[in-house]
Amino acid sequence: MHATPSVAPVDAVVAEDVSKVFFSGTDPVWALEDFSLSLEPGSFTCIVGPSGCGKSTFLRILGGLEERTVGSVTMPEASSPIPAAFVFQEHGVFPWMTVLENVAFGLRMSGTGKTERLGIARDWLERVRLADFADSYPHQLSGGMRQRVAIARAFATGSSVLLMDEPLGALDAQTRMLMQEELIALWEAERKTVLMVTHDIDEAIILSDRVIVMSGRPGTLREDITVPFDRPRSFDIERDPAYSALRARIWELLREDARTAEETA
Amino acid sequence: MSAKTSASTSATASMSADTRAQRTLVAARAQRARDRRLATRDLILAITTPILLLVLWELCARGQIIDPRFFPPPTRILTAGWEMILSGELWEHTAPTLMRLGVGGGLGALAGIVVGLLMGSSRALNAALGPLFSALYPLPKIAIFPILLMIFGPTELPKIIAVFITTFFIMQINTVSGVWAIDRKLLEAGAAYGATGLARFRHVVLPGAMPFVFSGLRTATGTAVVVVTAVEFTGATTTGLGYLIWNSWQLFIPEKLYVGLVVIGLIGAVVTTLLSRSETLLLPWRRER
Repeated sequence: MHATPSVAPVDAVVAEDVSKVFFSGTDPVWALEDFSLSLEPGSFTCIVGPSGCGKSTFLRILGGLEERTVGSVTMPEASSPIPAAFVFQEHGVFPWMTVLENVAFGLRMSGTGKTERLGIARDWLERVRLADFADSYPHQLSGGMRQRVAIARAFATGSSVLLMDEPLGALDAQTRMLMQEELIALWEAERKTVLMVTHDIDEAIILSDRVIVMSGRPGTLREDITVPFDRPRSFDIERDPAYSALRARIWELLREDARTAEETA
Repeated sequence: MSAKTSASTSATASMSADTRAQRTLVAARAQRARDRRLATRDLILAITTPILLLVLWELCARGQIIDPRFFPPPTRILTAGWEMILSGELWEHTAPTLMRLGVGGGLGALAGIVVGLLMGSSRALNAALGPLFSALYPLPKIAIFPILLMIFGPTELPKIIAVFITTFFIMQINTVSGVWAIDRKLLEAGAAYGATGLARFRHVVLPGAMPFVFSGLRTATGTAVVVVTAVEFTGATTTGLGYLIWNSWQLFIPEKLYVGLVVIGLIGAVVTTLLSRSETLLLPWRRER
């Protein structure tokens, strides 16, 4: 279709020249400017960028939570009624539903029968090690467990595209590392197309095949980096010299914009 | 150091560790026992204070320290109440009040919740009705009672409508606030997972607004009891607990006046308790907070 670096015949997600402009008083604010991105089916991609660069906005546009000003978004292989399953940073699980009902929610909305959806949901709870908490309410769980519920809910929809908006951002450092390992394992078993926004460079390298580095506002593509490490992956890659080189390179790209963002925020 | 002595020192060390653990446990148990004693004491205080006050009232009334014509001793109020139950007089006044509260309040709450949910989720509807309702809300409902009497005549309808309007406004305002108070993330999560139309209403908006709905119901109960009593004071009726109280004052039968007061108070307390119970039952996710 277009001259994208990927060689796959059909991309799972194609966004072309997406711009988002909103008004702050009378001044137009460019959150995103002509941002294009194509995702190969079954790839894990992270977007990093300084705060306010529009990375979350882009994700929310893909998920249908926000409208784009101009540009086009297509997901050719979207099979389920929702184009993509969304994982929020926190507070995204319904406090009035049990853990099981939360995980089955997407399937319920798409009209899956009760026995089938509860079966699938139980299956996913098993996989995120929450089977014993099926009938608990979210407020009875820890932050990490709640995010496991959110992730299970996204996977359980069967949607081929998952969009994650800093899903581990609110967790403490240790829980976060454990969750990264779990997320890698889940994804390596499922191979869904994942697009994840994060502000954590290490997280981006460890999890993804590709790291998209965005510039500060207005958000544009700064660099598209392929992560060279083999799968299945573990934290061992942190000891690889290539890892530190990659980390330094991404930080170098972000540094200037991060400082500007920090000083103008 | 020889092996023997080191073994014996480690033995004493482990023994002292044991006794230390035991001492800590004993202290923890003492602490728990103290907490429990305090909880029991609080309960006893909560029960005995009102009983003591009643006893004091009884003694003061009998000893003529307070005027028993205005403050008849509790035992006399109790006897009067018992006689009124036996003669059926009490029920004659309680039933109409309950009916007015139940029908007017029940329908008013239902309508208020439905309209509140619709206004909370429809920007256009809220723009159309919000300012109007806000302007009407502070209007004392009892002040429009004469208009209702004029329209509907001295029937049950104006009394029921007065209670209906009272609960309607309280519930509508609380429900709208409840919908607006729902975390935006949760509304987005609903949208992201395909909840639209009625499903969105049922699974996201309604449960999200429920805590506010229940606090509204408690407020509305108190206000509805006030309005029904006031309406029954007006002479537009010869039944109801409000009428009983008013009439007892005019005939100067203070015992009956107090009986009416106690029953009205009981109705309010029972409804409020039922609401709290059903809240814990219907909103299990609000427990243990």
